Amino acid sequence: MGKDIDISTNQEHFVREALKLGIRTDGRSLLESRKPIISLSPDLYGFVEIEWGLTKLAVRISAEILQPYEDRPFEGLFTINTEISPMASPHFENGKNTDDEVLISRLIEKAIRRSNALDLESLCIVAGSKVWSIRADIHFLNFDGGLIDSACLGVMTALQHFKKPDISVNGEDIIIHSLDERQPVALSILHVPICVSFSFFNPGAVEENIKGDLNEEISIIDCTQQEELLRDGTLVITINKNRELIQISKSGGLPIDATMLMDLSSRALLIAEELTDMVKDLLKKDEQERYKKLNLKMLQAENSR
Amino acid sequence: MSATPSTSILSQVDGSAQLLLGPIKVLASVTGPIEAKARQELPTLASLEIIVRPATGVSSTREKLLEDKLRSLLQSIIVRHKYPRQLIQVVIQFLSSDSDHSANAKAFTSNELNAAINCVYFALIDANIALFSSFASVSLCILPSSDSFILNPTIAQLNESESHHVICFDIKDKQADKILLVESQGSFSEKQFYLAIDEASKECETIHNKYQRHCIVEKIREDFVWKF
Amino acid sequence: MELYSPEGLRIDGRRWNELRKFECRINTHPNSSDGSSFIEQGNTKVICMVQGPMEPVLRSQSNPNQANIEISITIANFSTTERKKRLKNEKRLVELKATLERTFEQSVMCKLYPRTVIQVNIHVLAQDGGLLAGITNAITLGLIDAGIAMYDYVSSISAGLYDTTPLLDLNTLEENDMSTLTIGVIGKSEKLALLLLEDKMPLDRLESVLAIGIAGGHRIRDLMDEEVRRHGNLRLSKVNV
Repeated sequence: MGKDIDISTNQEHFVREALKLGIRTDGRSLLESRKPIISLSPDLYGFVEIEWGLTKLAVRISAEILQPYEDRPFEGLFTINTEISPMASPHFENGKNTDDEVLISRLIEKAIRRSNALDLESLCIVAGSKVWSIRADIHFLNFDGGLIDSACLGVMTALQHFKKPDISVNGEDIIIHSLDERQPVALSILHVPICVSFSFFNPGAVEENIKGDLNEEISIIDCTQQEELLRDGTLVITINKNRELIQISKSGGLPIDATMLMDLSSRALLIAEELTDMVKDLLKKDEQERYKKLNLKMLQAENSR
Repeated sequence: MSATPSTSILSQVDGSAQLLLGPIKVLASVTGPIEAKARQELPTLASLEIIVRPATGVSSTREKLLEDKLRSLLQSIIVRHKYPRQLIQVVIQFLSSDSDHSANAKAFTSNELNAAINCVYFALIDANIALFSSFASVSLCILPSSDSFILNPTIAQLNESESHHVICFDIKDKQADKILLVESQGSFSEKQFYLAIDEASKECETIHNKYQRHCIVEKIREDFVWKF
Repeated sequence: MELYSPEGLRIDGRRWNELRKFECRINTHPNSSDGSSFIEQGNTKVICMVQGPMEPVLRSQSNPNQANIEISITIANFSTTERKKRLKNEKRLVELKATLERTFEQSVMCKLYPRTVIQVNIHVLAQDGGLLAGITNAITLGLIDAGIAMYDYVSSISAGLYDTTPLLDLNTLEENDMSTLTIGVIGKSEKLALLLLEDKMPLDRLESVLAIGIAGGHRIRDLMDEEVRRHGNLRLSKVNV
């Protein structure tokens, strides 16, 4: 396998002509997303693996106690690591940040960190000297498009799944209780942002797109790698269940009509609702499993009198 | 080894394998032979690019050290003159590891090295890279005031132990042949060391016959499906 | 501090749909570049210089099918009230650069200039909100001055949402306190080349913010067009003499 990914002209025409007829090469309809398979680790907290079509990634959340920034003594720290290794695909070079990689990491940063999905003030232990530092490591294992969507879903699922060890504060001293000693504590998540990527294809001439009134641009959801290489433009919408837009990013590419944008954002909302509920169900099931395993009946406020 | 590996799990690379060894979950991928960059290129041999990535945090000197250990091992085992001026890219990604929560996470644990070596083997087989021989490795430790070994020790046992060793053998004709790598730490006597090597060679053969053979046979059957 | 008074006045005395003073000049540096422009959008001031289409320095920059647009952005240390040193490879700047390159790749007729590079140098002298919008407008004018074929103007403007009222063309004070949507409109159409929202905004308000943004973009286009025509007539008058 070579390092550069090129698509032959024949293949390009095939994909484009098929799209004009409303057909995608993997049999999906234009606005149909691949169904993600999320697996939560049964023993580790905050370890999530996601399979999104052929795209695969793992997210690890870890926590440690550090000193906060001087100008923000009441806030905990939160970092997201999105380095892509050649494991995902040989065209990603190790340690070299291409523009694409920077865009991916900025988008995830804006979607999750900037939107305050994780309540940083709840991470404060002793103001100005000790706070929790939460770290999300995203490991991209296999690449077949949709890195942003799957990474955002992965991090949000992992954050909700993660539990940090309980602590007690004694003046300046902090005792960290091990997992057997005390039940660990979940993080406080303020909302669940979901990223939805749209890709645009221009079926006609460039002139028609810019000057014409036909508005025939084709938009599809959740590209594969092949479609990602051929697309003329892209739009990422981050939205949560509460009908709040968190971020919209259309960095250039094929110009699209404003009414189409409105259409796509309401479609993004539907997907966000669906995915949020799916994750919620999954986490609930996981929680129940864990309780069963630990035999924690005594914690229930039930009385057999 | 407690669990069988799964291979060919990634589609973008030429060979991949995942291994679960107790708390350690590791994924290895091999891409190659591919075109090398001018500065990597060797006129008569394949160059190796080895990348180790930790489960949490960014890679540091600890990962670099692991990369170097693996490089010295793989350099002697891959038939490099078969792929002159080309590149073989090996990525080891730890997904979970036993050193995550220990205070002394500065150095890699011998269990990690052991897992990486065994996992790379399956990925190399999966990628159809020519090897001089098979290889397998064992992690073991000697507890204080006893002569017996513990194979695949837990992190607690490692911390208690007097000395711990990672021993890697090459395997020819289903027999452990030569030592490829020994990583020992702690104090131990010459006698203990030879005993450890004996123990390791036996265990390596077991690994080979129990897991590696099976993997090779499967691989050949799939690759030559048109012939059988 | 009241960003929007009950009487409908903003902090700098504008109404909700009013633009700040928009001044632009083209051909400001006729000797040192093929195309140049200077814009002032309120207190945001940007210089743009365009070189090319020209032979690429590196072979890797050459594309046999179309021109390669390269944008470099320098933000002056004194552009904000707080003097700050900025690294060139800061993630935010890399993102800005990639966004602009991808925008102009579509609106410039790149196919007409194969195997060439168009180098765009941006200098931000002062910042007072609407940075991306200001840079986009400056590049559009610079490219026009360089005589590079484009399909239409790309005019850009920011718009925000205060409670339920959409506000046009935000300054720094407003930008810090409300979510900002920056859009880039193609000519007089409703086609969007560029769209950037970085803070929360209710989905149901998006339409009203977009609408005023598009209207503002069209107004900016007219102002830029006026300047281009003024400069064109000036040149023409010199030719006739």
